[in-house]
Amino acid sequence: MRVVIAEDLVLLRDGVTRLLEAHAIEVVAALGDAGELLALLEREPVDLVILDVRMPPTFTNEGLRAAIDARARHPGLPVLVLSQYVEQIYARELMASGDGALGYLLKDRVSDVPSFISAVRQVAAGGTVLDPKVVAAMVTHHGNGARLAALTAREQEVLSLMAEGRANTGIAEQLVVTEKAVSKHINNIFAKLALPADTDGHRRVLAVLEYLQAGTASG
Amino acid sequence: MSGPVSAGVAPSGRELTGWGRALRLQVIIGALLGTVSTIVGLAVGGYFWPRWAWFVVGLTLAGQVAVRGALRKPGGRGVAFAVHARLTVVLAAMEVTIWALTGGGLFWPIWALMVLGLALGAHVWVLHKHPNRERELTERVDQLTRTRRGVVDVQAAELKRIERDLHDGAQARMASLAMNLGLAEELVRRGDPDAVASLLAESRNSTLTAMDELRTVMRGIQPPVLSDRGLVGAVEALALDLAVPTTVIATVPGRIATPVESAVYLAVSECLANVVKHSGAAKAWVVLRHRDGLLSAVVGDDGAGGARLGGGSGLTGIVRRLEVFDGTVEVRSPAGGPTEIMMEVPCELSSPRTSSSSETE
Repeated sequence: MRVVIAEDLVLLRDGVTRLLEAHAIEVVAALGDAGELLALLEREPVDLVILDVRMPPTFTNEGLRAAIDARARHPGLPVLVLSQYVEQIYARELMASGDGALGYLLKDRVSDVPSFISAVRQVAAGGTVLDPKVVAAMVTHHGNGARLAALTAREQEVLSLMAEGRANTGIAEQLVVTEKAVSKHINNIFAKLALPADTDGHRRVLAVLEYLQAGTASG
Repeated sequence: MSGPVSAGVAPSGRELTGWGRALRLQVIIGALLGTVSTIVGLAVGGYFWPRWAWFVVGLTLAGQVAVRGALRKPGGRGVAFAVHARLTVVLAAMEVTIWALTGGGLFWPIWALMVLGLALGAHVWVLHKHPNRERELTERVDQLTRTRRGVVDVQAAELKRIERDLHDGAQARMASLAMNLGLAEELVRRGDPDAVASLLAESRNSTLTAMDELRTVMRGIQPPVLSDRGLVGAVEALALDLAVPTTVIATVPGRIATPVESAVYLAVSECLANVVKHSGAAKAWVVLRHRDGLLSAVVGDDGAGGARLGGGSGLTGIVRRLEVFDGTVEVRSPAGGPTEIMMEVPCELSSPRTSSSSETE
């Protein structure tokens, strides 16, 4: 897998590079700002872009803009956005930039190495991984209040774990229940949210996210 | 009408100033002249002319005492009026005295008195009609003094809070982290990998919590999204995270100076926090608008109403925050709702190219 990293803080750039290389992921380039990124994407075939939201020259959200621009020029380009803080509004802008192949995580999550590497692989494979904080904000968001209120606390928990991109096994481990119980919860969620059940994990996440996004846009 | 006229508070107190000494001298000389002329007049007999000597002495002294007293009034237009009023009284008295000394008869001073009265009336009218610049300035100074103290207090309190948060939070965690890592180092040497693994896991969790705490502290100083997106973007981001559906309508074609932006953002977020906590509203709205050098922010909700300024409510904090920038806060919140809190701050927009006019929900 060929990855490009754009992150202005040397410490974090080197850390992520080392981490990826330790897991046999090739880092094609590690850039200090978003400006070079688009030029590089024209030249090099890349499987995933990992980038920071805040970068030079203005240190506001050029990373986010670069991610959206890059996905506009290269539809379907997998992008994993890392940030010191997460905002629901940024998540929505990223999701609106294309279907799937998207990650938006707090930098804190990098410290959980196995999860981070699995997120990297999921995004590169076209999956969607959102930070639990964003997911929680979206799940509790008013727009879905009416229908989501029908979910039990446990089902909401399961839904937010699903939206993080976890498989049933992962959810079962996290909640310390059997996988069978998890799939029962999931079926209930699909029924209550009027979503067609699907065995494919990735499409399941997308369905949930699309539902959440639609809910926030119209709510 | 003579005698010490000590209106106002002279800084010199009872001490005699140059004019005071001259006055005392004049009184002595005047009394002397009057007495001498009286004696001479009585000795000569006939028409009692010394009355005019007394009149001149009295008039001179009264005029001076009146003006001097008026000048002791504290500054500005008040002094002009006091001088005018006292001179009017002295002149009126002069007219009447002349009339009396010339033997009365037809009361001719009435015409002069009427003119004097009219002039004084006109002065009063002018003072009344035009806003009192002096009072305005005094009030302005009072307000500036109060708000400056308020800002300093608020800043000091915020710095103290930040210091305490960092000290008790992230710093304490870093300290415990260093201890854990030291212990882990020792355990590695002793060859106890299980214990090391659990210590490392604990350390990692500790780091994550520290990062969470740092984020909270930073958000309290300046929410990152406010730096990134400016007032409108930050309010839109805030609205998305609220438990009450909130519509944001914004017409702010440019970026506002950072201190105002920050104050208005915090004011709006405080209002919205109140909406969520207290109003029981089903929906809320924020209208941000910049027009003619005035930024207005209206936060409304369809809740129970009954919000008011004062009484230690969060609204007092908002007033304090905005007052610094000459901002105003008005609350319309009848019992039963809806509530609207209208905030206005005079400010200019900096760069119109980062134009933003949007409506989100």
